[in-house]
Amino acid sequence: MKDLKHLYYFENLLQEANNDLVRQAVEEGKTAIGSVCSQIPEPLLNLPGCFSVRLRAPRTGSIDMGTYYMTSLLCECARALLERALEGGYNFLDCILAPDACSQMNRCVENIEKLELCKKETFFVEYADVPMKSDETALRHYVRQMKEHLLLPLHNSFGVDISDEALRKAVEEHNEICCLLNEIGSYRKEENPRITGYEFAVFCLASYACPKYLLVDKLKETVKELKARKPDKKNRFRARVVLIGSEVDDLDLIKLIEESGAMVVADRFCFGSFPGRELIPMNSSEDALLQICRFYMTSGQCPRFMNTEKIKERKEYVDRLAKEYKADGLIYQQMKFCDYWGYERANATHIMRETYGYPVLSVDRPYVVGGSGQLRTRTQAFVESIEMKKLQNTIEKGGAANE
Amino acid sequence: MSKKLGSVLLGKLYGGGVAREHREWRGVKDTWYDYTEWLKTWKTLVTFTAKPNNIKGFFRYRWMLNYLAVPDFFDRHTEGMRGTQLRMAHMGLGLIVRDMCDMVTTIFKADPEIGNDTKLNSKIVLFDENMMSEIMSGFPNLTWLSVEVPSIYTSAMMSQKGVSHYLDVCEAYGIPSDVCPMPAAELGVVIDNDFPKIGKCAVQCNTTCDGSAMGNGIQSQFMDIPSFQLAVPIRHRQESVQEYAAEEIKNAIRFIEEQTGEKFDWEYFFSCMKRFNKETEHMLDWFDISTTDYPQMIGVNLALYRYGVYQAAGGRNEEFLTTDKKLSKLARDAFNKKELTVTEPRHRAITWGVQAAYYTALPVWLQNCWGIVPLCDMLSLVSTKMIDTEDKEQAMLDLAYLYENMIMRNRSNGGYETGVEALWRYCEYFHADMVIMYAHMGCKAMSGYHGLFEEEARKHGIHLIWVTHGLMQPQDASRKEMRMEVNRYMRTVLREEPLDPSLEDYDDSMCW
Repeated sequence: MKDLKHLYYFENLLQEANNDLVRQAVEEGKTAIGSVCSQIPEPLLNLPGCFSVRLRAPRTGSIDMGTYYMTSLLCECARALLERALEGGYNFLDCILAPDACSQMNRCVENIEKLELCKKETFFVEYADVPMKSDETALRHYVRQMKEHLLLPLHNSFGVDISDEALRKAVEEHNEICCLLNEIGSYRKEENPRITGYEFAVFCLASYACPKYLLVDKLKETVKELKARKPDKKNRFRARVVLIGSEVDDLDLIKLIEESGAMVVADRFCFGSFPGRELIPMNSSEDALLQICRFYMTSGQCPRFMNTEKIKERKEYVDRLAKEYKADGLIYQQMKFCDYWGYERANATHIMRETYGYPVLSVDRPYVVGGSGQLRTRTQAFVESIEMKKLQNTIEKGGAANE
Repeated sequence: MSKKLGSVLLGKLYGGGVAREHREWRGVKDTWYDYTEWLKTWKTLVTFTAKPNNIKGFFRYRWMLNYLAVPDFFDRHTEGMRGTQLRMAHMGLGLIVRDMCDMVTTIFKADPEIGNDTKLNSKIVLFDENMMSEIMSGFPNLTWLSVEVPSIYTSAMMSQKGVSHYLDVCEAYGIPSDVCPMPAAELGVVIDNDFPKIGKCAVQCNTTCDGSAMGNGIQSQFMDIPSFQLAVPIRHRQESVQEYAAEEIKNAIRFIEEQTGEKFDWEYFFSCMKRFNKETEHMLDWFDISTTDYPQMIGVNLALYRYGVYQAAGGRNEEFLTTDKKLSKLARDAFNKKELTVTEPRHRAITWGVQAAYYTALPVWLQNCWGIVPLCDMLSLVSTKMIDTEDKEQAMLDLAYLYENMIMRNRSNGGYETGVEALWRYCEYFHADMVIMYAHMGCKAMSGYHGLFEEEARKHGIHLIWVTHGLMQPQDASRKEMRMEVNRYMRTVLREEPLDPSLEDYDDSMCW
């Protein structure tokens, strides 16, 4: 396929947390808000005059300092973020608005705060308690937390407009980006897709790591370009998979999977488009904050949601995605030391295999995976097993037809 | 000889086998007392075993094997003790053992595979281990039980490798080996079909950590009874979460009412909470004594007993308050007589982080070997807020606060203020110069503060000794390796000699 015009540009943006667009927005006088979790609704971080950056540590090398502060037994992502903060990589931030969601990421942020690693004089960190269940009691709590630990601090510190209208406008802008990404991502449903999982992931990841309003034009152009883009005559992928699991901000993982022959047709992980890039429906009768919180609570697929209904729903959601995107198999991946995904991956592997009948590859991985031969071998073997299964099915069907 | 503290070389008791070489000679009076208490323990166990249901249970559930080590558990936790300390240990731990026997008896009576008492079963509400039972103080006609406590929590305390099998089962299921072994072992029991299928309904809770919350979720899939997930706020020091916390408690109560048909009995609840408040007063008195040069209710005597009172008894059992009174009297009398708990108290320590379940007796060793007085442990430093016993709304808020501050979760959750800063405040309060810092390998919540602990300890002039362990997995860090870390610090940094050199290096890898 012909290269997408802006792909290289987007790839370059992802090489730094403090990338060109972040710098541009800061120069424009916008407030830079660091975010570390999908449980803080993005539109609330992108109110007028603000923009959010989901913290990443691209091109991570040594994480020795992060390991000193947090031991070698904690998630490498959390350690890498701390390492990057120690290196001064997040000095552009005006604040970090974090939920106390997973304890490891919380510790990372607390270390950043207590070690005073972000140098702006007015820099602050605020922690919110986000719900672990999806019900009306939790929703009231969520709304209050977002009001007291997110909107009010933004308003009081930076004079941010937190009115209902401002929230609605932020959702509108958020939805615009989601619409564009959904359109780009929808081509992954094609039998011989005109976009790869990796290409889509580049655009999607950029929408988390850069000021959104600066991406709109290029995404629009990409949508237009894709309409006319022709896929290769022969599909180079031998299988279609849904990638599920803990946060993936190192796109080498997707590249590795696709180089092994499996196209990532749907991305159900943190930094992915499901559910992160689903449109937020709004009505005019209810309070905007309530609607935003309700959407994030009900659509949230993080294993942190502990009520039985949500536990079941997570598997149904993956099943729905797999069907919609015609996946042949599922890859459950988890960052090593992640408690939430450690349990979810193990459990879902059994359920998706035994109850739903999908071939499942279940792996844990380090933060940076590009050079992992072990992971490559396992993915290749998984692709072969899917092919074998397909072949067996064809033979069985053929046999049945002959009889 | 022998009557005095430190007069026996305790390391000589270990010959490398499962049991010790011989019992400890503590002088005529204390040996006689210890012997009669040892007989009482056997009486409790024999009475327990004499019940047919319990015999069946013994052969049905693998984890029951661990309870053969109960007498050894007492010996381990009373090692080197004399006089008041010895009496406090037997009094407190003896009650815990009797209470546990009652709990296991009830479990087997209700178990469809054993006693199959359907009437009893319909009155049982299962609670998640690590979750305090106080909500049940409003349901006098229902029975609170936690299967995980006898199967995993105390099993691991009785016998060091007692739950290794269940960890293997859990890993074979696919759970990574880097998660906390406690929820993993609990899940292992369920997967291995060693979890008695009892109860009308269950209440689970996001108690200690992320792993614990996740383990519960999977467990609920295996249980055939309705379960309610009580989501207690994580950031529990924030005023803005208290209302929600109380709402969740009310939701849990409503769930129990709906499932069992019982009504929350406020009168009974208040009477239990009055008792609970009195128990808290006793604890505060023990803490008060521990701030002096003659601390009494310390180390394992405080820790293991207090877990039972605070988490399990929940003000419902009068016997705990009676024992509290007796313990307080013993402590006050010993304090007035200026009794020492070790021959030569050299350091006043707080143990922080979660202790190894397979080596709960480490504080006893600290006392005997190095003269380190373990004044208080992190898990005992829970909420001391009194529960309102008149105003229903306030009582719910207080109860919610209590749940937010359950053992372990009050430090593992809540942020830097509760996990790190509080430690220095307690050091000041107890006049401690040392912190024994348990580094539980699977505990991400505390590991995340590793560097900050080191830096802050230096600033506060506190000796911080890291003791790495695997909570319920001695294969990850043995008891001996835990002691070695203390030895190294005492020798190389403080350049001290042990009080009992025989305890510095001995082999207990094969012991219970």
